[in-house]
Amino acid sequence: MATLPQLIEEDIRQLDDALAEFIRQADAIGALIIDKGGFLITHKGDMGELDLTTIGALASGAFMASQTIAGLVNEKNFNSTFQQGEKFSLYILEVDEECLLAIIFTSQTGLGIVKYYSSNVASSIAKQLTAARVRNPDGGFDLSVLNLADPKELFRKKNKR
Amino acid sequence: MAIINQATKELQVKIVYYGPAMGGKTTNLVQVHDHVQTNAGNKGKLVSLATSSDRTLFFDFLPIEAMTIKGFKTKFQLYTVPGQVIYNTTRQLVLRGVDGIVFVADSQFEKMPENVESFQNLMDNLAAQKLNLAEIPYVLQYNKRDLPNVAPVEYMDFLLNNREVQVPSFAGTAHKCEGVFESLNMITRMLLQKFINQSVPQYA
Repeated sequence: MATLPQLIEEDIRQLDDALAEFIRQADAIGALIIDKGGFLITHKGDMGELDLTTIGALASGAFMASQTIAGLVNEKNFNSTFQQGEKFSLYILEVDEECLLAIIFTSQTGLGIVKYYSSNVASSIAKQLTAARVRNPDGGFDLSVLNLADPKELFRKKNKR
Repeated sequence: MAIINQATKELQVKIVYYGPAMGGKTTNLVQVHDHVQTNAGNKGKLVSLATSSDRTLFFDFLPIEAMTIKGFKTKFQLYTVPGQVIYNTTRQLVLRGVDGIVFVADSQFEKMPENVESFQNLMDNLAAQKLNLAEIPYVLQYNKRDLPNVAPVEYMDFLLNNREVQVPSFAGTAHKCEGVFESLNMITRMLLQKFINQSVPQYA
């Protein structure tokens, strides 16, 4: 299964630069690159206290549900979803087979400009993610210092008061 | 599959709680959320996409941060699937990118057919994503052990843990938080162990 085993600093820098430029061009509030499994890969923008981890998981779920509906109606090209609100809107675009781009923007920003610039930035993102995948497809994580037998290393239950 | 981010020094992994309807999957997440000991800011909100009668419609989601290893933060994303048979498409979506599974079985005798059906459904849905249980760490939790009509653990092992390699199983009473952390910590150990086995030299 294709995946993103490892992203190095150069990957994240390139992705962040692409997102920052996109936000400037499209006048968006923020943009998130999300794995379709629900992981937040990186994000840019002024999104204050928003819970981006949860937004990433829910945006991924919403997009994937929409993709499934596409399959049910024999449509291959549901490659984006749009949620319009009174103040804010959310546009989610498929970057490649594994990743999505979620864009948050205000009602003053037109969907057209977001769509226009997002298709360009999606290509740049896809290119960088492809480079990351082929660089080290079996990349792992050195956990040699972790003592898995030590329960203190794992999740602990609060003591009863 | 897990994501390793060298820039932010994060490892993100996804654990899915699977099993028959009303078996206690959501209760497991609620108990973890309520009882886990974490540093401030390391536990996210428990999000439930549920029906008006509190049945899971899409999934429950709990992001939680655990240990730091060599400066890397390990972030766990815990999901449940809807157990009801009709929501199979949703289960397939939630399984995408899964790293580890906790199968929560209902110990009541009359629920054994549903347990077996759900376990088979898990294997089918993994196969649809070109995955199989031999490759993904999983543990079994035999929940609701406080009820009077439960099947013996040995019988449940015979039904659900009768594969070539037996996996750890835990007796649980999730609403009392019994077996909940035991299951979570075991699946955590198993999937981190998998990373150790796969470890390769790092990029600078």
